[in-house]
Amino acid sequence: MSSIVSQPVFGVLSQALDVAALKQAVHTANIANAGVPGYHRLEVSFDAQMQRASDELTRTTDQPTTAAEGGESWPSGGGPRVVRAADETVRLDKEMALMAKDAVRYQTLLSAFERTVGLLQMAIKEGREG
Amino acid sequence: MSMFGILDISAAGMDVQQARLEAAAANLANSQTTGQAGAVYQPLTVVVHSILGKGVASTDNLSADSLPRPAVTGTAELDVAPRLVYDPGHPDADSRGFVAMPGVDPIASMLDLISISRSYEANLRAFDVTRTLMQRTLDMGNHR
Repeated sequence: MSSIVSQPVFGVLSQALDVAALKQAVHTANIANAGVPGYHRLEVSFDAQMQRASDELTRTTDQPTTAAEGGESWPSGGGPRVVRAADETVRLDKEMALMAKDAVRYQTLLSAFERTVGLLQMAIKEGREG
Repeated sequence: MSMFGILDISAAGMDVQQARLEAAAANLANSQTTGQAGAVYQPLTVVVHSILGKGVASTDNLSADSLPRPAVTGTAELDVAPRLVYDPGHPDADSRGFVAMPGVDPIASMLDLISISRSYEANLRAFDVTRTLMQRTLDMGNHR
């Protein structure tokens, strides 16, 4: 049995938080640069990598990979990348809506993290309060 | 990766809007000033460019620390012809009785003000969201 603190969920959650933080940075940059001549809207490309990683996992379900173990490394193909978005100009209200959505996602991930830690703490205290 | 850098981007965005506001306010404030032809106030515009982080040449492979941030690279005088108002009694009137006033377009200036205000608010909101997320991250696990 693997160590209690090296549960896969921690690795996955921290990677997801990294992506969410990067998304916030990119939304902020888009908003700050909105209307600047020659600026091309940016976005975080992650879904492609996620798809590839998911394919990889389904292919190798028998022998779990390091990614499935929740290692700190990104699945092959690297981590999230900042790329030029398909829609060139920044539309402020759309960008704000996307930012709000991703901020909620970030907070959800934080809650998930907290709850996992809470469960561990409960286990450490053998379910006793205080 | 640092989240503090994200706050810097918002700050740069607000700084740019502040500069645009100064130019728009100066244009509106000076729109009724007169001058002998040639000496009339020229409407100003700020030149804003997106600056990439140090050591980054293109937007192909950006990290959170090298995201482009806007910066005012200069102020330029708009080359617009002065507005000529017929007012023969005016001390600044030329020989034909015309007074030269800056070619400020009041409607365009007002629209600029709205856009500046909206952009500033958007940057402020982005700043606020980033700050909230940072604060929530710091508070993680402090609930009991």
